[in-house]
Amino acid sequence: MADYWWDVIDPIQSVLDGMMFGSIYALIGIGFTLIFGVMHKINLAYAAASIGGAYASLVAFQILSAPALVVFLCAAAASGVIGYIVYICCFRFIPEHLPLATLMASVGMLILIDEVVVHATAGMPEPYPAMFDDVMIDISPFWIRGDLLMIFALSVVAMLILLYVLYRTRLGIATRAVAQQPSAAQLCGIGQQQTNAVTFVITGALGGLAGAMVGASVGILSPLLALPLTVKGLVVTVIGGLGSIPGAIVAGILVGGFENVFQYFRGVTERDIYVMLLLFVFLTFRPQGLFGRISTRD
Amino acid sequence: MDFYYGMAQLIGVHTLLGLSAYVVLLTGQVSMAQAGFFAIGAYLGGMLTVLAGLHIVPAMLLAAVASALVATVVGFPALRVKGLMLVVATLAFGEAVRIFWFNFDYQIAKGNIQVGPLGGEGFKQIRYFPENGWSTADVAIFIWAWVIAAMVALWWMDRSRVGSVLRAVGEDELAAQSVGINLTAVKVSAMGIGGFIAGLGGAIYAHYTTHIEHLNFGVVLATFAIAYPILGGLSSVIGVLLAVIFIQGFLVEVLRFMGDWRNLLFGALIVLAMNVRPDGLFDARATRALKRLLGGRDA
Repeated sequence: MADYWWDVIDPIQSVLDGMMFGSIYALIGIGFTLIFGVMHKINLAYAAASIGGAYASLVAFQILSAPALVVFLCAAAASGVIGYIVYICCFRFIPEHLPLATLMASVGMLILIDEVVVHATAGMPEPYPAMFDDVMIDISPFWIRGDLLMIFALSVVAMLILLYVLYRTRLGIATRAVAQQPSAAQLCGIGQQQTNAVTFVITGALGGLAGAMVGASVGILSPLLALPLTVKGLVVTVIGGLGSIPGAIVAGILVGGFENVFQYFRGVTERDIYVMLLLFVFLTFRPQGLFGRISTRD
Repeated sequence: MDFYYGMAQLIGVHTLLGLSAYVVLLTGQVSMAQAGFFAIGAYLGGMLTVLAGLHIVPAMLLAAVASALVATVVGFPALRVKGLMLVVATLAFGEAVRIFWFNFDYQIAKGNIQVGPLGGEGFKQIRYFPENGWSTADVAIFIWAWVIAAMVALWWMDRSRVGSVLRAVGEDELAAQSVGINLTAVKVSAMGIGGFIAGLGGAIYAHYTTHIEHLNFGVVLATFAIAYPILGGLSSVIGVLLAVIFIQGFLVEVLRFMGDWRNLLFGALIVLAMNVRPDGLFDARATRALKRLLGGRDA
């Protein structure tokens, strides 16, 4: 009985670690979901912009040697700016009835952001600051890594702020109105373009924080992080249900725990296959996602 | 001269990849799985010539049929979802295929060396062309024979009733359904045709590079696959070819002198192109102009 118990501890430990890391996926998923909700378009450059923002915050870390929390906030701010640039370059001027064109433009932007980063850093991974990375909390029989707990806490705070903005401010009402019915929102005097732009800035900031969290938990930043983060973010978005913020949060944590436990059992090379299988299970049995509604409009 | 033959081979293979995405895009589905079908064709084609000792043509056809079958199977669940969901589902499928080959070992001894796919190290020694004394020019001509066959077949399909049916589904599913078009059949066949062409392209690709590994078939290749028809404007197969020449010929080769800056410019030019010509570089109006230029009547 005692031996059996010890076999269970390690998997549970990896699920816990994964769930805390999954809060990053949740942030990225929220970004995709929000932009989809407001514009009904995919911004494939989103995760790249998040990593780009984290890179920009390295300036604060390397030159000003600012404390980690300030670096994280700089990443969010920088990513917000990048989000606005992405909106102007890929969404603002392309006619709305051509979704393929915006999709392609955002792919171009993804390549561009990645290449700017490669160019600026000569393709070398850069060290990134973390908080509480020397702390290990002992809740026997488990350990909780301090930096992961910090990431989890920061993500939760960011999500709470986002939910406050969306549900308690005029800006949030405008955003939700445009998401619900763009022309009706315009008739009420809500500028569609401004709302879209603001959504891109808000999601950009959220993504920048996620990018910084990735850097903080892995310890380094690399442009190679952008594509896997894009794929995971999209998977989370679909599992959670398109346009659903609670769905993205739950799905992000679910995917994080799921992938880490499979990494424990099957190794890092195989783990993503099981994440994709999880996605297919959802697409087959629950195509609307965890919290999504079956869309009747369109 | 070999450089130009090499160019022609690359453009030929990428045209096949673009054509495979073109068929699927006509029905309004954005499939990011084309790189996955391409990978299936590449690995199976290589295994059939290297491990089973087949001639290249039957090996290619068998690999293409296998890709088409997989594509058809993927097509069915893909019908349940649309738009972003479909992009993600196909993207995930493509990645799953890539990771499958990453973990796939199947080696046999041939002479005194081990041949066959070996996980992360890839599949080396696909030496059908050198072993049978094909020159670079022969390979280029061989590839272009397939490309032209595929383009003519799709051109003809576009002009026939089949093309209209595909485009009808792409324009408006509800309207297409209301005139009695079977959406399931159309979409699944488009996926199947796309899978077949991607499989052909992959099988040739494996043989002319002689070494493939899972990293060749990632998200980047998948985005290239849909970039060609979208940049090409989805109005005819010529657009796909022109987009491949624009990207692989102009953006990759002509701008080579710019060194590191080339990749930067690459992304920026795609963004610019989609802003200036959101319908694609070679849209329906350009197709009509070309037809007039060639003396044909307006379609």
